[in-house]
Amino acid sequence: MNKSRPIYAPFQFDPSGARHLLVTDQPDPPADLNTNVQTLTARTHTADAILAFLPPHLATQTTGLRLYAIGSEAFVWDVNAIALAAGMGAGEVHLTRAGPLIRRVYCTHCQTMADDVATTITQCPGCGATLEVRDHFSRHHRAFMGVQVDAEAPGEIPAPEGFRS
Amino acid sequence: MRLRIAEITVLSPGIRKFTLEPLAGLLPAAGAGAHLVFDIPGATRVHKNAYSLIGGPQARTQYEIIVRRVEPSRGGSAWLHEHARIGDILEAKTPQNLFPLAHLAKKHLLLSAGIGITPFLAFARVMRTPFEWHHCSRAEDSAAFAALLPPGPQVTLHTSRNTLNLAAVLGTQPLGTHLYVCGPELFNETVQTMARALGWPESKIHTESFASAAGGAPFIVHLARSGQRLEVAADQTLLEAIEAAGIAAPYLCRGGACGACELPLLQGTPEHRDHVLSPEQRAANKSLMVCVSRARTPDLVLDF
Amino acid sequence: MDLNLKPAETFRGNFSAQNSEAAIRRFPFPFPDDLYMYSVNMEPHERGGPTAAYDAIFDLDEHYLGECADRAQVLADDPKRCQVMPHLIDAEWDTLELLMESLATDYPAQFTLTRNGDAWHWINRPLALDQRFTFGDAASLPCPPFEYITRQVQGDFTLQDQRDNDLFIEGGMVTSQADWSLNFDAGMSFRQWHGPVPLAHEAGVFDRALAYLLRLQLGKPVRRLNWTLTVNPRLDTSPENYPKWGPDRTTVTPENVGHKLCLRVELQTLTRLPRSNGILFGIRCYLIRLEELVRVEKWARRLHRVLRDLHPDLAAYKGMPRYRPIIVDYLAAFDDGAPTSPGTGPD
Ligand code: FES
Repeated sequence: MNKSRPIYAPFQFDPSGARHLLVTDQPDPPADLNTNVQTLTARTHTADAILAFLPPHLATQTTGLRLYAIGSEAFVWDVNAIALAAGMGAGEVHLTRAGPLIRRVYCTHCQTMADDVATTITQCPGCGATLEVRDHFSRHHRAFMGVQVDAEAPGEIPAPEGFRS
Repeated sequence: MRLRIAEITVLSPGIRKFTLEPLAGLLPAAGAGAHLVFDIPGATRVHKNAYSLIGGPQARTQYEIIVRRVEPSRGGSAWLHEHARIGDILEAKTPQNLFPLAHLAKKHLLLSAGIGITPFLAFARVMRTPFEWHHCSRAEDSAAFAALLPPGPQVTLHTSRNTLNLAAVLGTQPLGTHLYVCGPELFNETVQTMARALGWPESKIHTESFASAAGGAPFIVHLARSGQRLEVAADQTLLEAIEAAGIAAPYLCRGGACGACELPLLQGTPEHRDHVLSPEQRAANKSLMVCVSRARTPDLVLDF
Repeated sequence: MDLNLKPAETFRGNFSAQNSEAAIRRFPFPFPDDLYMYSVNMEPHERGGPTAAYDAIFDLDEHYLGECADRAQVLADDPKRCQVMPHLIDAEWDTLELLMESLATDYPAQFTLTRNGDAWHWINRPLALDQRFTFGDAASLPCPPFEYITRQVQGDFTLQDQRDNDLFIEGGMVTSQADWSLNFDAGMSFRQWHGPVPLAHEAGVFDRALAYLLRLQLGKPVRRLNWTLTVNPRLDTSPENYPKWGPDRTTVTPENVGHKLCLRVELQTLTRLPRSNGILFGIRCYLIRLEELVRVEKWARRLHRVLRDLHPDLAAYKGMPRYRPIIVDYLAAFDDGAPTSPGTGPD
């Protein structure tokens, strides 16, 4: 068991909030959504448009807001970073992952990010190292840790596997 | 730590400021929100009173506290008002901080009432982010508090003629505001209830809680193997009482985390305060961690 | 306190670092028993302990000059090894004050601190530094206060902010670490930061340790020991540089194991900081070659038993799989099966 890999709860409305905003990179919001929740979905906005909309919007908001993000792991943590920068904290932001099991990976050696990584062994697009995707996630970098897998003995590379969580 | 009373200032008939200095050297640094626990002599026993430090964090040469005379007096504040003299020496523990500022706040909202002003006087000297402070006072103390409050449009003194509109203040704060509440219990509860109703998350609501401080009601412990009977004082741990009797007991962390000080229990019900025992083990009451745990019954009997 | 500094030795390249007889005797050997298990092994950090390594609040030893030089080299190659998030500026000054006061008290022949209000004067004789500055004014120092002082102390340091009933690692000077990255872990909570450690989460070790640390009091620091193994006395075994030191692990042979393989011990101290209410985590690293360690018979016997019987998950986490049998064989020659005395100090 690893305690840095995020565990996501299914979407749930948080009644302690006074106002609610839900953003998702999926086409549809959850079914039977409370009508008080303002929503932005992939039907009307690209993920980039949502991420661009949030900072100026949050700057005008008051305490009492709840922000929900549903989507790929990269998307929900990008939203989380924007929320933190706007001053939101524990209990104000709720993240739910949706979509395929792919990871964003941070190369420890050259600090390049690789998006949409699907297997435990991957090539770093920056320095070309063969990386093992460690099960260690940084909310700050919004990515999993990638470390060269064959540093001890070059060429000793285990078979890649898909992610199970 | 021993402190000498260097100055006493009468702020109002019921409120005095005490300036304290070390007998030698420098005082331990203390951050905004820190408090000091004093031993204050009383007629029948020594009182342990906690007072917030109001000085800035650079103040390593002096500590300042403000004391309201509590009616009916529970002892400590009466002695400070009636008997304390310049030059008197008080015994104090190293300051501790149970009410720190949130470093990630975009804005601080301070709501205080009465003598609850004191920690915020320390806050006011160090806050670097924007703040808003509302202080509520009884009419007879308002002049004293007005003189203490820093100047500026972000600070408002409220009396009966100018009451605080809580819903308006709490309902319009930008995201990233942290709320700090300090005053009488009723004030604290009213503010927190209103804040929660307006959607404030717990992570943004701060109150000073002395509950986590050590200590509790005194009790008696019997050590079955040596036949000793020990009194555990209110401000003493069971482990300290055993050690004070000259008996070596096992320990490591002295904070309820490691399990080294576990002793078997023969009789009595402990108040478990450790982080080691599982709920089932706690309920079984077969042992306890003597570095933190206390008694729910007047006596405990240990197999030790 | 006595402090005899050697000229700078190297902890990379030709690895000239060695321990004198005195340094061996003061080594903070980490195993109180012949069997190793995770535990919350925290205790009050007061001056004095099983060896002289516990005599100062922040221990310095004969390797001071070499370690400071190694740190400067790591920082020159990778400035991100020292980073502090801006909201911890008070904790930076807290750290500077604590370290300067402790060093000046414990090693008055080497360090002097004089202050007149906020006007401070710091003298570090071994590094030939003489600095006047204004406490609280970062512009009066050649670099930020946390970096300034931690460049002058042996051991890594991290800064933890306390909020939401948790500790967040949001700053540090990390150049002599056992395979973890400050740059990657910055911002993590206590449990996240310890995520990769096997077995301990299940045992509740981190939950208990966190609950304990959240209540850490001013003026009452605590300490614990941690350990691993490192090939060659290399201070900087970072994930960033894994391609540089990883290959060392394939070079261990029965002939060179005693010289090459080092027991790496961290004397970790945790101190509540006054102004920031943060926690300073000191991770003081000691490296001892096996051939040096076996000169203390009790330590040789006990280390043999610990490594022989170690849980395989832990052995893997500590990077041992490639050479575990070689070490165990080497140490077996020094273990006659006699019982070991209680405690960690040498007999
Ligand atoms: S001494 Fe560690 S639990 Fe009591």
